[in-house]
Amino acid sequence: MGPLIPNGLIPIEWNFIVAILIGIAFGYIMEATGFSSSRKLAGIFYGYDFAVLKVFFTAAVVAVIGLYYLDYLNFLDISQLYVQPTYLWAAIIGGMIMGVGFLAGGFCPGTSLCAVAIGKIDGMIFTVGLMIGIFIFSESFSTLEPFFESSNLGHITLVDTLSMSPYWIILIITIIAVLAFAFSDWVRSKIKKVFY
Amino acid sequence: MSKRYKSKKFLVKTRYIILAVILIILAGGLVLLPKHIANEGIKPELFVKNAISTERFISTDALADRLVNQDPSILLIDTRSEKEFNKFSLPNAINIPLENLLDDDYIDYLDQDTYDVILFSNDSFYADQAWMIGNRLGFKNMYVLKGGLNEWFHTIINPKYPDETMPKSAFELYSFRKAAGMYFGVGVIDPNAKSETLKKVTTKKAPKKVTPKPKKKKRVPEGGC
Repeated sequence: MGPLIPNGLIPIEWNFIVAILIGIAFGYIMEATGFSSSRKLAGIFYGYDFAVLKVFFTAAVVAVIGLYYLDYLNFLDISQLYVQPTYLWAAIIGGMIMGVGFLAGGFCPGTSLCAVAIGKIDGMIFTVGLMIGIFIFSESFSTLEPFFESSNLGHITLVDTLSMSPYWIILIITIIAVLAFAFSDWVRSKIKKVFY
Repeated sequence: MSKRYKSKKFLVKTRYIILAVILIILAGGLVLLPKHIANEGIKPELFVKNAISTERFISTDALADRLVNQDPSILLIDTRSEKEFNKFSLPNAINIPLENLLDDDYIDYLDQDTYDVILFSNDSFYADQAWMIGNRLGFKNMYVLKGGLNEWFHTIINPKYPDETMPKSAFELYSFRKAAGMYFGVGVIDPNAKSETLKKVTTKKAPKKVTPKPKKKKRVPEGGC
Protein backbone atom coordinates (compact mmCIF):
# COMPACT_ATOMS: atom_id res chain seq x y z
CA MET A 1 0.00 0.00 0.00
CA GLY A 2 2.40 2.68 1.19
CA PRO A 3 4.36 4.86 0.67
CA LEU A 4 1.30 6.81 -0.39
CA ILE A 5 2.71 9.25 -2.94
CA PRO A 6 5.10 6.95 -4.90
CA ASN A 7 2.35 4.34 -5.15
CA GLY A 8 -0.14 6.87 -6.45
CA LEU A 9 -2.60 6.70 -3.54
CA ILE A 10 -2.06 10.41 -3.19
CA PRO A 11 -1.43 12.22 -6.49
CA ILE A 12 2.13 13.50 -6.82
CA GLU A 13 0.85 17.08 -7.08
CA TRP A 14 0.03 16.93 -3.38
CA ASN A 15 3.68 16.36 -2.54
CA PHE A 16 4.44 19.92 -1.53
CA ILE A 17 1.14 20.46 0.22
CA VAL A 18 1.72 17.39 2.37
CA ALA A 19 5.28 18.58 2.97
CA ILE A 20 4.03 22.00 4.09
CA LEU A 21 1.47 20.45 6.45
CA ILE A 22 4.08 18.15 7.99
CA GLY A 23 6.46 21.12 8.23
CA ILE A 24 3.87 23.18 10.10
CA ALA A 25 3.23 20.29 12.48
CA PHE A 26 6.99 19.85 12.99
CA GLY A 27 7.45 23.55 13.70
CA TYR A 28 4.53 23.54 16.11
CA ILE A 29 5.91 20.57 18.04
CA MET A 30 9.37 22.14 18.21
CA GLU A 31 7.98 25.39 19.54
CA ALA A 32 5.68 23.56 21.96
CA THR A 33 8.59 21.58 23.40
CA GLY A 34 10.55 24.80 23.88
CA PHE A 35 13.18 24.09 21.25
CA SER A 36 13.08 27.65 20.02
CA SER A 37 15.02 28.58 23.14
CA SER A 38 18.74 28.48 22.51
CA ARG A 39 19.31 27.77 26.21
CA LYS A 40 17.48 24.48 25.89
CA LEU A 41 19.56 23.42 22.91
CA ALA A 42 22.83 24.39 24.54
CA GLY A 43 21.69 22.58 27.70
CA ILE A 44 22.54 19.19 26.23
CA PHE A 45 26.19 20.25 25.94
CA TYR A 46 26.44 21.69 29.44
CA GLY A 47 24.39 18.87 30.92
CA TYR A 48 21.51 20.75 32.53
CA ASP A 49 18.81 19.87 29.99
CA PHE A 50 18.56 16.74 27.85
CA ALA A 51 15.19 17.43 26.27
CA VAL A 52 16.69 17.60 22.75
CA LEU A 53 18.31 14.19 23.09
CA LYS A 54 15.14 12.70 24.53
CA VAL A 55 12.78 14.19 21.98
CA PHE A 56 14.79 13.33 18.88
CA PHE A 57 15.88 9.89 20.06
CA THR A 58 12.29 9.03 21.08
CA ALA A 59 11.00 10.31 17.74
CA ALA A 60 13.51 8.18 15.84
CA VAL A 61 12.82 5.03 17.84
CA VAL A 62 9.03 5.40 17.73
CA ALA A 63 9.18 6.11 13.98
CA VAL A 64 11.39 3.13 13.18
CA ILE A 65 9.31 0.73 15.30
CA GLY A 66 6.10 2.05 13.73
CA LEU A 67 7.48 1.84 10.19
CA TYR A 68 8.63 -1.74 10.65
CA TYR A 69 5.29 -2.78 12.11
CA LEU A 70 3.57 -1.17 9.11
CA ASP A 71 5.98 -3.02 6.84
CA TYR A 72 5.29 -6.28 8.66
CA LEU A 73 1.55 -5.77 8.20
CA ASN A 74 2.04 -4.93 4.50
CA PHE A 75 0.78 -1.38 4.86
CA LEU A 76 4.13 -0.02 3.77
CA ASP A 77 7.02 -1.20 1.65
CA ILE A 78 10.20 -0.28 3.53
CA SER A 79 12.33 -0.91 0.45
CA GLN A 80 10.52 1.89 -1.38
CA LEU A 81 11.56 4.49 1.16
CA TYR A 82 14.32 6.85 0.20
CA VAL A 83 17.62 6.42 2.02
CA GLN A 84 19.97 9.37 2.06
CA PRO A 85 23.36 8.47 0.57
CA THR A 86 26.20 8.32 3.09
CA TYR A 87 29.13 10.65 2.37
CA LEU A 88 31.19 9.36 5.27
CA TRP A 89 34.02 11.86 5.73
CA ALA A 90 32.05 14.79 4.38
CA ALA A 91 29.36 14.01 6.95
CA ILE A 92 31.88 13.73 9.80
CA ILE A 93 33.55 17.08 8.96
CA GLY A 94 30.20 18.74 8.25
CA GLY A 95 28.81 17.38 11.50
CA MET A 96 31.68 18.84 13.47
CA ILE A 97 31.25 22.25 11.83
CA MET A 98 27.52 22.11 12.46
CA GLY A 99 28.10 21.06 16.07
CA VAL A 100 30.29 24.11 16.70
CA GLY A 101 27.68 26.36 15.06
CA PHE A 102 24.93 24.63 17.00
CA LEU A 103 26.58 25.30 20.34
CA ALA A 104 27.82 28.80 19.51
CA GLY A 105 24.50 29.96 18.10
CA GLY A 106 22.19 27.84 20.21
CA PHE A 107 20.00 26.79 17.29
CA CYS A 108 19.79 24.09 14.72
CA PRO A 109 18.55 25.16 11.27
CA GLY A 110 14.98 24.07 12.05
CA THR A 111 14.75 25.61 15.49
CA SER A 112 16.28 28.89 14.27
CA LEU A 113 13.32 29.30 11.92
CA CYS A 114 10.97 28.53 14.84
CA ALA A 115 12.73 31.27 16.78
CA VAL A 116 12.31 33.67 13.86
CA ALA A 117 8.60 32.82 13.77
CA ILE A 118 8.15 33.84 17.40
CA GLY A 119 10.18 37.00 16.87
CA LYS A 120 13.52 36.21 18.51
CA ILE A 121 16.28 38.55 17.42
CA ASP A 122 19.06 36.01 18.04
CA GLY A 123 17.15 33.57 15.84
CA MET A 124 17.00 36.12 13.02
CA ILE A 125 20.73 36.82 13.24
CA PHE A 126 21.40 33.08 13.31
CA THR A 127 19.30 32.64 10.16
CA VAL A 128 21.27 35.37 8.37
CA GLY A 129 24.47 33.57 9.38
CA LEU A 130 22.95 30.33 8.10
CA MET A 131 22.26 31.94 4.73
CA ILE A 132 25.83 33.30 4.57
CA GLY A 133 27.11 29.81 5.34
CA ILE A 134 24.97 28.30 2.59
CA PHE A 135 26.20 30.97 0.19
CA ILE A 136 29.87 30.35 0.99
CA PHE A 137 29.43 26.59 0.72
CA SER A 138 27.58 26.86 -2.60
CA GLU A 139 30.14 29.24 -4.08
CA SER A 140 33.09 27.08 -3.04
CA PHE A 141 31.39 23.81 -3.92
CA SER A 142 33.50 23.26 -7.04
CA THR A 143 36.62 23.36 -4.81
CA LEU A 144 35.08 21.14 -2.15
CA GLU A 145 33.43 18.71 -4.55
CA PRO A 146 36.33 16.19 -4.85
CA PHE A 147 36.37 15.79 -1.08
CA PHE A 148 32.57 15.89 -0.85
CA GLU A 149 32.17 13.08 -3.38
CA SER A 150 35.23 11.06 -2.30
CA SER A 151 33.59 9.00 0.45
CA ASN A 152 30.18 8.33 -1.07
CA LEU A 153 29.12 4.93 0.26
CA GLY A 154 25.77 5.01 -1.49
CA HIS A 155 22.33 4.42 -0.03
CA ILE A 156 23.40 2.26 2.88
CA THR A 157 21.88 1.69 6.29
CA LEU A 158 23.05 -0.16 9.39
CA VAL A 159 21.34 -3.26 7.99
CA ASP A 160 23.82 -3.26 5.08
CA THR A 161 26.85 -2.26 7.15
CA LEU A 162 26.36 -4.77 9.96
CA SER A 163 24.51 -7.33 7.79
CA MET A 164 22.15 -7.95 10.67
CA SER A 165 18.40 -8.34 10.82
CA PRO A 166 16.79 -4.89 11.00
CA TYR A 167 14.62 -6.08 13.89
CA TRP A 168 17.62 -6.81 16.08
CA ILE A 169 19.13 -3.45 15.22
CA ILE A 170 15.88 -1.76 16.24
CA LEU A 171 15.83 -3.61 19.55
CA ILE A 172 19.44 -2.71 20.27
CA ILE A 173 18.89 0.95 19.32
CA THR A 174 15.80 1.06 21.55
CA ILE A 175 17.75 -0.32 24.49
CA ILE A 176 20.55 2.17 23.79
CA ALA A 177 17.95 4.97 23.72
CA VAL A 178 16.47 3.94 27.07
CA LEU A 179 19.95 3.67 28.61
CA ALA A 180 20.83 7.07 27.18
CA PHE A 181 17.71 8.56 28.77
CA ALA A 182 18.55 7.02 32.14
CA PHE A 183 22.16 8.19 31.84
CA SER A 184 21.12 11.72 30.90
CA ASP A 185 18.82 11.85 33.94
CA TRP A 186 21.70 10.71 36.12
CA VAL A 187 24.01 13.38 34.65
CA ARG A 188 21.35 15.99 35.14
CA SER A 189 20.98 15.11 38.80
CA LYS A 190 24.73 15.66 39.29
CA ILE A 191 24.83 19.06 37.53
CA LYS A 192 23.82 22.29 39.15
CA LYS A 193 20.30 23.16 38.05
CA VAL A 194 19.89 26.08 35.69
CA PHE A 195 16.59 27.91 35.62
CA TYR A 196 15.64 29.87 32.55
CA MET B 1 -4.15 8.05 51.87
CA SER B 2 -6.77 6.44 49.77
CA LYS B 3 -5.98 3.49 47.59
CA ARG B 4 -6.68 5.48 44.45
CA TYR B 5 -4.27 8.20 45.42
CA LYS B 6 -1.62 5.59 46.11
CA SER B 7 -1.95 3.98 42.70
CA LYS B 8 -1.93 7.39 41.04
CA LYS B 9 1.23 8.32 42.88
CA PHE B 10 2.82 5.05 41.77
CA LEU B 11 1.93 5.73 38.15
CA VAL B 12 3.32 9.25 38.26
CA LYS B 13 6.52 8.07 39.89
CA THR B 14 7.12 5.25 37.46
CA ARG B 15 5.68 6.76 34.29
CA TYR B 16 8.98 7.00 32.45
CA ILE B 17 9.90 3.45 33.41
CA ILE B 18 6.54 2.22 32.12
CA LEU B 19 6.98 4.11 28.84
CA ALA B 20 10.50 2.75 28.41
CA VAL B 21 9.28 -0.79 29.06
CA ILE B 22 6.49 -0.36 26.47
CA LEU B 23 9.04 0.84 23.91
CA ILE B 24 11.33 -2.11 24.54
CA ILE B 25 8.42 -4.57 24.44
CA LEU B 26 7.32 -3.16 21.07
CA ALA B 27 10.84 -3.36 19.68
CA GLY B 28 11.25 -6.87 21.09
CA GLY B 29 7.95 -7.81 19.48
CA LEU B 30 9.46 -7.11 16.08
CA VAL B 31 12.26 -9.56 16.83
CA LEU B 32 9.92 -12.24 18.12
CA LEU B 33 7.26 -11.97 15.39
CA PRO B 34 7.23 -14.95 13.03
CA LYS B 35 9.05 -13.95 9.89
CA HIS B 36 7.33 -14.15 6.56
CA ILE B 37 8.99 -13.87 3.21
CA ALA B 38 7.76 -10.86 1.33
CA ASN B 39 6.38 -11.53 -2.12
CA GLU B 40 8.90 -11.09 -4.86
CA GLY B 41 7.71 -9.30 -7.96
CA ILE B 42 4.34 -7.78 -8.68
CA LYS B 43 1.34 -7.75 -6.38
CA PRO B 44 -0.94 -10.83 -6.49
CA GLU B 45 -3.95 -8.77 -7.63
CA LEU B 46 -2.06 -7.39 -10.59
CA PHE B 47 -0.71 -10.82 -11.44
CA VAL B 48 -4.22 -12.32 -11.58
CA LYS B 49 -5.43 -9.37 -13.61
CA ASN B 50 -2.62 -9.85 -16.11
CA ALA B 51 -3.09 -13.61 -16.17
CA ILE B 52 -6.77 -13.51 -17.12
CA SER B 53 -6.18 -10.86 -19.76
CA THR B 54 -5.67 -12.17 -23.29
CA GLU B 55 -3.56 -9.18 -24.27
CA ARG B 56 -0.42 -11.26 -23.98
CA PHE B 57 -1.32 -13.42 -26.98
CA ILE B 58 -0.03 -12.52 -30.39
CA SER B 59 -1.50 -14.32 -33.37
CA THR B 60 0.65 -16.21 -35.86
CA ASP B 61 -0.50 -13.83 -38.60
CA ALA B 62 0.59 -10.77 -36.65
CA LEU B 63 3.93 -12.40 -35.89
CA ALA B 64 4.43 -13.43 -39.53
CA ASP B 65 3.66 -9.89 -40.62
CA ARG B 66 6.25 -8.48 -38.25
CA LEU B 67 8.84 -11.06 -39.29
CA VAL B 68 8.25 -10.44 -42.99
CA ASN B 69 8.58 -6.72 -42.44
CA GLN B 70 11.78 -7.41 -40.53
CA ASP B 71 10.62 -5.65 -37.42
CA PRO B 72 13.83 -5.12 -35.43
CA SER B 73 12.04 -4.80 -32.10
CA ILE B 74 11.03 -8.42 -31.63
CA LEU B 75 12.93 -11.09 -29.81
CA LEU B 76 11.75 -14.65 -30.41
CA ILE B 77 12.29 -17.05 -27.58
CA ASP B 78 11.79 -20.77 -27.99
CA THR B 79 10.90 -22.29 -24.62
CA ARG B 80 11.13 -25.92 -25.78
CA SER B 81 14.03 -28.23 -25.15
CA GLU B 82 17.27 -27.84 -27.03
CA LYS B 83 16.65 -31.05 -28.98
CA GLU B 84 13.35 -29.81 -30.36
CA PHE B 85 14.85 -26.41 -31.01
CA ASN B 86 17.57 -27.93 -33.16
CA LYS B 87 14.98 -29.78 -35.23
CA PHE B 88 12.91 -26.79 -36.12
CA SER B 89 12.32 -23.31 -34.84
CA LEU B 90 11.36 -19.89 -36.04
CA PRO B 91 14.05 -17.78 -37.75
CA ASN B 92 16.43 -16.01 -35.37
CA ALA B 93 14.81 -17.51 -32.33
CA ILE B 94 16.80 -17.93 -29.14
CA ASN B 95 16.41 -21.20 -27.28
CA ILE B 96 15.71 -20.79 -23.56
CA PRO B 97 14.25 -24.07 -22.24
CA LEU B 98 11.57 -23.48 -19.63
CA GLU B 99 13.61 -25.05 -16.83
CA ASN B 100 16.54 -22.70 -17.57
CA LEU B 101 14.33 -19.63 -17.88
CA LEU B 102 15.78 -17.73 -14.93
CA ASP B 103 19.42 -18.72 -15.45
CA ASP B 104 21.88 -15.85 -15.25
CA ASP B 105 22.82 -16.36 -18.90
CA TYR B 106 19.29 -15.77 -20.10
CA ILE B 107 17.78 -13.34 -17.63
CA ASP B 108 18.96 -10.29 -19.57
CA TYR B 109 16.96 -11.42 -22.60
CA LEU B 110 13.78 -11.42 -20.55
CA ASP B 111 14.26 -8.64 -18.04
CA GLN B 112 14.62 -5.70 -20.40
CA ASP B 113 12.41 -3.12 -22.03
CA THR B 114 14.02 -2.72 -25.43
CA TYR B 115 12.43 -5.61 -27.33
CA ASP B 116 9.03 -7.23 -27.49
CA VAL B 117 9.76 -10.70 -26.23
CA ILE B 118 7.64 -13.31 -27.99
CA LEU B 119 7.62 -16.68 -26.27
CA PHE B 120 6.59 -19.81 -28.10
CA SER B 121 6.58 -23.56 -27.73
CA ASN B 122 4.83 -26.39 -29.55
CA ASP B 123 1.51 -25.33 -28.13
CA SER B 124 1.18 -22.15 -26.11
CA PHE B 125 1.49 -24.22 -22.94
CA TYR B 126 5.18 -23.94 -22.04
CA ALA B 127 5.33 -20.42 -23.41
CA ASP B 128 2.41 -19.44 -21.22
CA GLN B 129 4.13 -20.90 -18.18
CA ALA B 130 7.26 -18.93 -19.02
CA TRP B 131 5.11 -15.85 -19.43
CA MET B 132 3.51 -16.41 -16.01
CA ILE B 133 6.91 -16.63 -14.35
CA GLY B 134 8.16 -13.54 -16.15
CA ASN B 135 4.99 -11.59 -15.48
CA ARG B 136 5.17 -12.35 -11.79
CA LEU B 137 8.72 -11.05 -11.65
CA GLY B 138 7.57 -7.87 -13.36
CA PHE B 139 9.28 -8.37 -16.74
CA LYS B 140 7.93 -6.08 -19.40
CA ASN B 141 6.84 -6.49 -23.04
CA MET B 142 6.34 -10.25 -22.92
CA TYR B 143 4.01 -11.95 -25.38
CA VAL B 144 2.95 -15.49 -26.11
CA LEU B 145 2.51 -16.84 -29.60
CA LYS B 146 -1.07 -18.07 -29.57
CA GLY B 147 -1.21 -21.76 -30.43
CA GLY B 148 2.55 -21.95 -30.65
CA LEU B 149 4.37 -23.73 -33.43
CA ASN B 150 1.43 -26.04 -34.17
CA GLU B 151 -0.71 -23.04 -34.97
CA TRP B 152 2.18 -21.56 -36.92
CA PHE B 153 2.33 -24.72 -38.97
CA HIS B 154 -1.41 -24.79 -39.59
CA THR B 155 -1.72 -21.15 -40.53
CA ILE B 156 1.50 -19.92 -42.05
CA ILE B 157 3.28 -23.01 -43.33
CA ASN B 158 0.24 -25.01 -44.35
CA PRO B 159 -2.80 -22.72 -44.48
CA LYS B 160 -6.17 -24.16 -45.22
CA TYR B 161 -7.72 -23.09 -48.50
CA PRO B 162 -10.93 -21.16 -47.65
CA ASP B 163 -14.32 -22.43 -48.76
CA GLU B 164 -15.89 -20.77 -51.73
CA THR B 165 -18.65 -19.31 -49.62
CA MET B 166 -16.20 -17.50 -47.34
CA PRO B 167 -15.81 -13.71 -47.44
CA LYS B 168 -13.17 -11.95 -49.43
CA SER B 169 -11.12 -11.25 -46.32
CA ALA B 170 -10.65 -14.98 -45.78
CA PHE B 171 -9.11 -15.25 -49.24
CA GLU B 172 -6.91 -12.25 -48.61
CA LEU B 173 -5.76 -13.80 -45.37
CA TYR B 174 -5.06 -17.04 -47.23
CA SER B 175 -2.96 -15.29 -49.82
CA PHE B 176 -1.08 -13.41 -47.13
CA ARG B 177 -0.39 -16.67 -45.34
CA LYS B 178 0.73 -18.30 -48.55
CA ALA B 179 3.06 -15.42 -49.29
CA ALA B 180 4.37 -15.46 -45.75
CA GLY B 181 4.89 -19.22 -46.04
CA MET B 182 6.96 -18.63 -49.16
CA TYR B 183 8.99 -16.04 -47.29
CA PHE B 184 9.71 -18.63 -44.62
CA GLY B 185 10.94 -21.08 -47.22
CA VAL B 186 7.91 -23.12 -48.24
CA GLY B 187 7.84 -23.77 -52.00
CA VAL B 188 4.97 -22.78 -54.23
CA ILE B 189 2.64 -25.70 -54.04
CA ASP B 190 -0.72 -26.51 -55.44
CA PRO B 191 -3.32 -25.70 -52.75
CA ASN B 192 -5.08 -29.00 -53.38
CA ALA B 193 -1.98 -31.08 -52.82
CA LYS B 194 -2.20 -33.44 -49.86
CA SER B 195 1.21 -33.02 -48.28
CA GLU B 196 3.79 -30.36 -48.28
CA THR B 197 7.40 -30.47 -47.52
CA LEU B 198 8.93 -28.23 -45.00
CA LYS B 199 12.20 -26.60 -45.39
CA LYS B 200 14.03 -25.79 -42.29
CA VAL B 201 14.93 -22.18 -42.14
CA THR B 202 18.61 -22.03 -41.63
CA THR B 203 19.35 -18.36 -41.76
CA LYS B 204 21.22 -17.66 -38.61
CA LYS B 205 22.11 -14.19 -37.55
CA ALA B 206 24.25 -13.07 -34.69
CA PRO B 207 22.27 -13.15 -31.46
CA LYS B 208 20.65 -9.90 -30.55
CA LYS B 209 22.43 -7.69 -28.15
CA VAL B 210 20.41 -6.99 -25.08
CA THR B 211 21.14 -3.95 -23.03
CA PRO B 212 20.37 -4.55 -19.38
CA LYS B 213 17.60 -2.41 -18.01
CA PRO B 214 18.96 0.62 -16.18
CA LYS B 215 18.12 0.72 -12.49
CA LYS B 216 15.30 3.02 -11.50
CA LYS B 217 16.58 6.38 -10.47
CA LYS B 218 15.32 7.64 -7.20
CA ARG B 219 14.45 11.23 -6.83
CA VAL B 220 16.55 13.07 -4.34
CA PRO B 221 14.46 14.73 -1.67
CA GLU B 222 15.98 17.35 0.53
CA GLY B 223 15.46 18.04 4.14
CA GLY B 224 16.79 17.66 7.60
CA CYS B 225 16.45 19.00 11.04
